[in-house]
This record gives sequence, C-alpha cells and structure tokens, in this order.
Amino acid sequence: MSIPGVTVDFDVNNPDLTGDTDTQNEIFIQLFNSGDGALFDLLYRDDAISNFSGSPLTGEARLAFFKEFLAPKPFLKAEVTHAYVAGDVALIGVRFSVDSTGPDGEPVRLEGSCTDVLRLGEDGRWLMAIDRPVAGTLLPE
Amino acid sequence: MSLLTNDVEKHTALYEAAFNSGDADAVNAMYTDEAVAVWEPGRPLSGEARKAAVKEFLARKPKMSAKPRQSFVTGDTALLIVDWSIATVDDDGAPELLTGVGVDVLRKGADGNWRYAIDDPYGEQ
Repeated sequence: MSIPGVTVDFDVNNPDLTGDTDTQNEIFIQLFNSGDGALFDLLYRDDAISNFSGSPLTGEARLAFFKEFLAPKPFLKAEVTHAYVAGDVALIGVRFSVDSTGPDGEPVRLEGSCTDVLRLGEDGRWLMAIDRPVAGTLLPE
Repeated sequence: MSLLTNDVEKHTALYEAAFNSGDADAVNAMYTDEAVAVWEPGRPLSGEARKAAVKEFLARKPKMSAKPRQSFVTGDTALLIVDWSIATVDDDGAPELLTGVGVDVLRKGADGNWRYAIDDPYGEQ
C-alpha cells in the first residue's frame, strides 16, 4: 500500500526502521512529515518513551500526542551526527529543525539535537525505544 | 568486587565506586559484551580495545563524580543523562579536570542486572 508523501520502503503491517542509519533517518522524517500521528507511532515500540512533548509519554498518551502534534504538519529536517550500535540496541544522534506555524500564522522554526535509542526486537525489526530532544521538547515555547 | 545492580537508579553511583576503586575488571564487568564506549568523541571502542582503554585510563588513578540528571526506563532498556567530572592527570602528569554530560544506554541482562551497552560521555554537546 502506498502512503501519500512517503516514498521510502515501509510496510505499515510490519514496521521496521531497519538496521541502516540513513534509512532509519529517512523513514523517520517521511513518517513525521506525513502528518499522520498514528502512522508515525508505528515506529515506536509499545512501551517506548517519547519526550517530544516535554514529558515522557508512552502507550496511548504518546499516540494521542503524536496525532495532535503532527496534524498541522510540522516539517522536520534531520541529519544524523553519530550512530553507535551495540548488539540489539543503538544510539543515534541527530541535528534537526522543525518548521511550523504559530498562533498568528507566523512561521516558527525550532532547531536542536535529539538522542534516539533504538532496539532490535526478537522478530528482527528495529524500532524506537526512547527519544529525547536535548532542549527538552519539540514544542515551541 | 561486583557492583552490578537490578536498580537502574543505583547504577551510576555503583559505576562511580567501581571507577574510583581503580579496579578495571569491576568497571569492565559493568558493560555488556557488545558494549560501545566513546571516551574520545568520534572514536567508539568495543571488545578488547574498550577493556584495555579502561585499564590504561585507571592507571592514572582518576577520581570520578557522576550524578544522573534524567533517566528513562522502558522494559529492559534505559537511557541515562549524567553530569560527570573526572579529576585525573594529563600525559605530563599535570592535574586535569574532565567534565561532560554523558548519554548512557543500559540494557538489563537475563540475570536482571543493568549494564552499559553504549557509554557516550560527551554525548550531549
């Protein structure tokens, strides 16, 4: 099945960030920029922790936040600064910018670094376990 | 000396104790077999090279102070953000103070104990 705006190879029935750092980054960016929070949430393990909101969220609360946050289609750019893999766990560092629109329609740009922990499941798929923006949140002040 | 723990909140203090004891075997026992350490930015070490680097570094009798600032635990994986400093000596024997904010990824083993999988002491820059 094809997802609008998503050109990278991604199976919604078998989500996998893969073991390749550049592919991970491309999948992450494209699903973030799809504006579909439920789709983006597929990249996270059920018990994964996301700190994009400024608080550690997991499960249903994480999904609800992604739906609300991504609906207005904030636009993510990200490049990998470092990646280390130790068996079934990986640490990825990225520099990112998120462009969105403020309450008065003015453009808002947020820039920063983010640390991501990925885990390789027993089924051979890599998924997000923890994300943590260094500034503490992806939300504008 | 074994300083492993099943309580991730205690891991950093126990690591500090192992490090300050100068016991390289105790320090190395706190890492998974596949662990990666990045004690010099951009130069990840694993396996025997990682273990040897611990021995070499501890030979200068450095003293560490480390305090976790944040911890995120999900199942058998944890991310710790740690403020640390190490008082050591440089190659000429002059006092040197190293500081940083570490990004530590831990895995819980089958024995229930937490170990470093990725140790990135300059991870937040």
